[in-house]
Amino acid sequence: MITAERKPLEELIEYVRPFKRILLLGCNECVTVCAAGGRKEVGLLASGLHMALLKSGSTIEIREHTLERQCDPEYVEELVPMIDGVDAIMSMACGCGVQELARRFKGKPVFPAVNTKFMGASERQGVWAERCQGCGDCLLGKTGGICPIARCAKQLMNGPCGGSTGGHCEIGDDVDCAWALIWERLKELGQEERFVEIMPAKDWRPGGGSGPRKIIREDLAE
Amino acid sequence: MDTFEPVIVAFCCHYCAYTAADMAGSQRLTYPSNVKIIRVPCSSKVDALHIVKAFEMGADGVYVAGCLEGDCHFKNGNTRAARMVDYVQKYMDEIGIERERLEMVMMSAGMGYRFAQVATEITEKIRKLGPSSIHAAICRQHVDTCAVVVE
Amino acid sequence: MQTIQSQHSNRVLVIGGGMGGIRTALDLAEAEKNVILVDKAYAIGGLMTQLDRTFPTNNCDLCTLSPNLSEGSRQEFIELLTMTTVKDVKGEKGDFTVLLETAPRYINLDKCTACGDCHKKFPECVRFTPGLDHRAPTCMRYPQATPQAFSIDLAKCTDVEALMKCCPAGAINPDDMGRKREVSCGSIVFSSGGALFDPSHLDYLGYATQPDVVTSLEYERILSASGPTMGQLVRPSNGKQPKKVAWIQCIGSRGLQKGAGQYCSSACCMFALKEAIVTKERFQDDIETTIFFMDMRTMGKDYELYYLRAKNDFGVRFVRSRPHSILREPGKENLSLTYSAEEGGRNLTEEFDMVVLSTGFRVADDVKELAGKLGLQLNTSSFPKTDGFNPVVTSVPGVYVAGVIESPKDIPETMVQASAAACMAGRDLGITEKIEYEIAPLPLETLLVGEEPRVGVFICDCGENIGGVIDVATLAEFAGTLPHVAVAELKGHGCSRESMQQIEDTIKTERLNRVVIGGCSPRTHEAKFQEVVRRAGLNKYLVEIANIRDQVTWVHANHPDEATEKAKDLLKMAVGSVVRSQPLADHSLPMNKNVLVVGGGITGMTTALQLAEQGVKVFLVEKSAGLGGFAAGLWRTLEGNDIQAFVKDLISRTESHDNIQVITRAIIVDHSGMPGMFKTGMQTGKQMFYRQIEHGVTILATGALPNRPRLYLLDECEAVSTQRELQNLIEESPETVSSWDNVVMIQCAGSRTPDNPNCSRICCQNAVKNALRIKEINPEARIFVLFRDMRTYGFQEEYYQKARELGVIFSRYSLDKPPVVAASGSMVDVTFTDPIIGRQITVTADCLCLSTGLIADEDGNDELARIFKLPRTGDGYFLEDHVKLRPVDLPVPGFFVAGTAHGPKTIRESVGQALAVASRALTMLARDSINLGAAAAKVNRDLCAACLICVRACPFGIPFINADGYSEIDPAKCHGCGMCASACPAKAIQLMQFEDDRIIAKLEELFERNIA
Repeated sequence: MITAERKPLEELIEYVRPFKRILLLGCNECVTVCAAGGRKEVGLLASGLHMALLKSGSTIEIREHTLERQCDPEYVEELVPMIDGVDAIMSMACGCGVQELARRFKGKPVFPAVNTKFMGASERQGVWAERCQGCGDCLLGKTGGICPIARCAKQLMNGPCGGSTGGHCEIGDDVDCAWALIWERLKELGQEERFVEIMPAKDWRPGGGSGPRKIIREDLAE
Repeated sequence: MDTFEPVIVAFCCHYCAYTAADMAGSQRLTYPSNVKIIRVPCSSKVDALHIVKAFEMGADGVYVAGCLEGDCHFKNGNTRAARMVDYVQKYMDEIGIERERLEMVMMSAGMGYRFAQVATEITEKIRKLGPSSIHAAICRQHVDTCAVVVE
Repeated sequence: MQTIQSQHSNRVLVIGGGMGGIRTALDLAEAEKNVILVDKAYAIGGLMTQLDRTFPTNNCDLCTLSPNLSEGSRQEFIELLTMTTVKDVKGEKGDFTVLLETAPRYINLDKCTACGDCHKKFPECVRFTPGLDHRAPTCMRYPQATPQAFSIDLAKCTDVEALMKCCPAGAINPDDMGRKREVSCGSIVFSSGGALFDPSHLDYLGYATQPDVVTSLEYERILSASGPTMGQLVRPSNGKQPKKVAWIQCIGSRGLQKGAGQYCSSACCMFALKEAIVTKERFQDDIETTIFFMDMRTMGKDYELYYLRAKNDFGVRFVRSRPHSILREPGKENLSLTYSAEEGGRNLTEEFDMVVLSTGFRVADDVKELAGKLGLQLNTSSFPKTDGFNPVVTSVPGVYVAGVIESPKDIPETMVQASAAACMAGRDLGITEKIEYEIAPLPLETLLVGEEPRVGVFICDCGENIGGVIDVATLAEFAGTLPHVAVAELKGHGCSRESMQQIEDTIKTERLNRVVIGGCSPRTHEAKFQEVVRRAGLNKYLVEIANIRDQVTWVHANHPDEATEKAKDLLKMAVGSVVRSQPLADHSLPMNKNVLVVGGGITGMTTALQLAEQGVKVFLVEKSAGLGGFAAGLWRTLEGNDIQAFVKDLISRTESHDNIQVITRAIIVDHSGMPGMFKTGMQTGKQMFYRQIEHGVTILATGALPNRPRLYLLDECEAVSTQRELQNLIEESPETVSSWDNVVMIQCAGSRTPDNPNCSRICCQNAVKNALRIKEINPEARIFVLFRDMRTYGFQEEYYQKARELGVIFSRYSLDKPPVVAASGSMVDVTFTDPIIGRQITVTADCLCLSTGLIADEDGNDELARIFKLPRTGDGYFLEDHVKLRPVDLPVPGFFVAGTAHGPKTIRESVGQALAVASRALTMLARDSINLGAAAAKVNRDLCAACLICVRACPFGIPFINADGYSEIDPAKCHGCGMCASACPAKAIQLMQFEDDRIIAKLEELFERNIA
């Protein structure tokens, strides 16, 4: 899933300060699952904004709403009846949702309330970790199911580097060395020989190196 | 400002803190009437939203009272609640409400005296802090209905 | 004095309303059997209510105990007679006639609301104070007392008229005569509890003269939040916090002092450990705690770990010595304690601020007299004699004992025997036709669809309790102005029968659909008012209580204006919340009345037979080829009873009982369903056929395994054996035993070690048993028992003493210096250091016998725990729901555990638990359906994001993502904490009765702000 984290309140206040009425919009997908922008976070942020503005003597009307998914036009269409009553939209969805809103409601300022962080997995309750960078050319089949692009600080194709000690990356003891993990996993699989194969340099073009990407499924596309 | 009487909300778990509050009554211990108790089955039932909304409505102080560590009727509800309170305190920093206005306390059902003591201490602390900035701002807006005197 | 006769022998008389008596009465009542519970005190609860916290959880008791107690007073099957004693007993099992005498309370229990006005105005003649001073009159001994009423000491009252007038409820009746009453009953449970040894006459301990020498119970009262010092630990002599506290064990136990019992009081070691730990917890490095002991007897389940925690984590100091004297030198504030060190034998003197005497149990004189009236044979220590295999069966058929009166013990063992006695006593009543009670049918619940809320607010004055502080009329007037309130009335004592009828009528005539009571705590009175609204035709969850007594007038009595304002706030909040309440259905399930018992040893068979004899169909599942279990290979108990004959008899009765289906060679493979309707699958027989059993209750009696550690040349040298093997040898070839010169026994072989930290409980008595048998056969044999602590608890102590008298040598070793064993031809050399003579000794033994104890069946239990989703202790035994109060109930409803599957124990103790689980199962089986209440979490699937946060947050593992991709929470399994509801990031979960909109409504009403 896509993970996100709420922006500092201070930044958000500056976005909404000029307005009288805003729509605060949650998304019931990834950002709900990572506890950044679901119904609960919408409620918390609305209260926080109210209070922070009230302190400086201003008031704002905040309409709270949460869409099933903000990155699909049909769901966004739901907002049409409520959009005229507000001066601006603040979205708690990932960047995709925010842009979808901006595309649909051209005349309304749209602000992000969260910083979209990465594609990750939940390690345990309340902890999410990066797992994928969408490089467009998945090599997990060769690396024992552990991605050196997303999980090696240097994105090495042939690791580990000299900074790997005791299974940890030199950037911090709480960061596993991806290549140490790859080695352990390959050992489990009895595929140690893979480790000594030299992988060629990564072609970054499918990962966005040649511009914004798009997927077209001809059978589905109209 | 000497007439300031804070309004404090105490979310109390049914099994310990709420029972302790009743116990304080049985023992005729006294504590300030500023504290208003809302009963919840477990301190972990208290949602960050409830606390934030309480401050938004003008609470000067809020505390969550659960069982002693290790005694939670639901295994670990009280420690979860304590973590939630920590989290909301950080949010209060961002909003600009003193984090001292929110507290997690733990007590057993038999600790009537502790309930009264905690209620007294927290009320005293909040009195010293004065009205919350939100409460004060509400009062500036509704001078007619607000009892708090704002300079 | 009037005498009333009552002819109704189809019930059980329970004598003694301590924790044990209450448990017995509750078990019987829940199994729909009638009970009369009598106690001579003013309120039930016994000794446990005076404790501050209980080991090993260090929980405060009141929160765990008080629901039990009020449950007791609520039960319609229990007639509770306090201040009542048994004067005479006639008749026999099935038809006893008992004369009861109730002393005058001078208070009408039906009218008394426990407001406390009388106590306030006439403190000297009202019994209430819970206190340290054991001479003080006590009545409402702790704030949650049952019955919730005071008692008058008329002798101390000079102005009766004035006393009567001060009671707003008119409950004081100086003409109360007390009464005598003859009752019939089918069986009797005697659970009078124990008295504590009084050390006043032992002048060298200074208890009578030194205020800072206290008994352990007095120390408990000093620590207790509801005690005389409000939980402040201070020295009675000067009110200062002590810096050094000592405990002295075995005061009045183990035959040590003048007047002491010959037995071990079993509970005092843990009691002292707990007090020391709680003291350390509170004051840490600011206080020193020292326990003087002989043997540390922490033989209960996981108790050894508690001992280790006291020593290693809390820094409690342990000195193995029996102090000689406690003196206070003239002019000095501190107490001087003289003792001799174990090693070196020098006399040492050390100063302490306080000394706590760990006083043991004894049988009180009036209890001894009562035992005489019951015709019970007593042992030399004045405890009733009981059956060799069944701890609750006495010498008189139909009379059972439970708790400390059976033998000294702690709370969980008392709870086990209480349930066991309930089982036996209930069986004597026979299987009765289910009585159809004439209960007026309840009116249909009014449907609320589309109806505007019409709230009725009823405000109690509770006499002066509320009315004396605030003007209730003004309050009612105020309530009338609140939105949706249709009626606001004063109700005097709202909980009186009369007022409740009026409320019911008003609901009907005014067509109210929501009710708010302004009165006392919902904790004590919500259920009552729920019944009222239900009788009036409303759903019982449409009532809310504003706690304006316990949390307003009682605590703000000196500030009436503030109290009034707060009461108004609480009423507003309650009204705001109740208008958002919705009718809720209690969750209930139909009950399957069959029982699955897993394990065909003594425990499983005993449980199966008890249930079968009470009309229950039992599936008894055993994994091996036959019944009998571990005990089938044993010969005799410490007391000399024939185990083989006992087991054979059990097997033949079990196999021939029509209600028992024995399934051998059965391995349980799957399990599903919920309490009252389980399905368990198993593979059975040599062919491993699969079959499935449907049942309502599951009982685990899977036993434990004999430990066989690779220690001290076991399995390497022929002269080394275990106690069990030695026992076989004694029984099968006594001539070998006759030829021996030297026998050495090593205790704790494989127990109380870092690998297996707990005590195996049974080994010390086994060693004593076998030592005595060897001495019987071969009096010349020299026997050395190398031990770490001799744990011959209860009456086993007498056998330990006998062994020493016969010349068995007991020598202590410590874990860091174990005996050294070397083979020497067909013999074995055992070398150890005796701490008293301080010398190394080598014994060439014909037989080295290791006390290897029991260990949990790691693989078997692991498998069952996985299938049944049950928790286990660190050492692999099943973990009960509450180690203190529910020792045989497992945390998963519908599951129970008994015998050594719960932890190491003797046969008698296993039988006790077997009877107890039968009783606990019967309480469930009496019901046709199970009410699970309404406070369960409910998922709105349209909002759910299937994020798993609830699944991970739930402490009981109830929510799961179902096949449709939404979180599902089974209301029958939900415990109702609401953790999932507050954690849900999509706000898709609501906890019924505590919905978010009701909590927010309370805030909105309090702050008069609507921010939605």
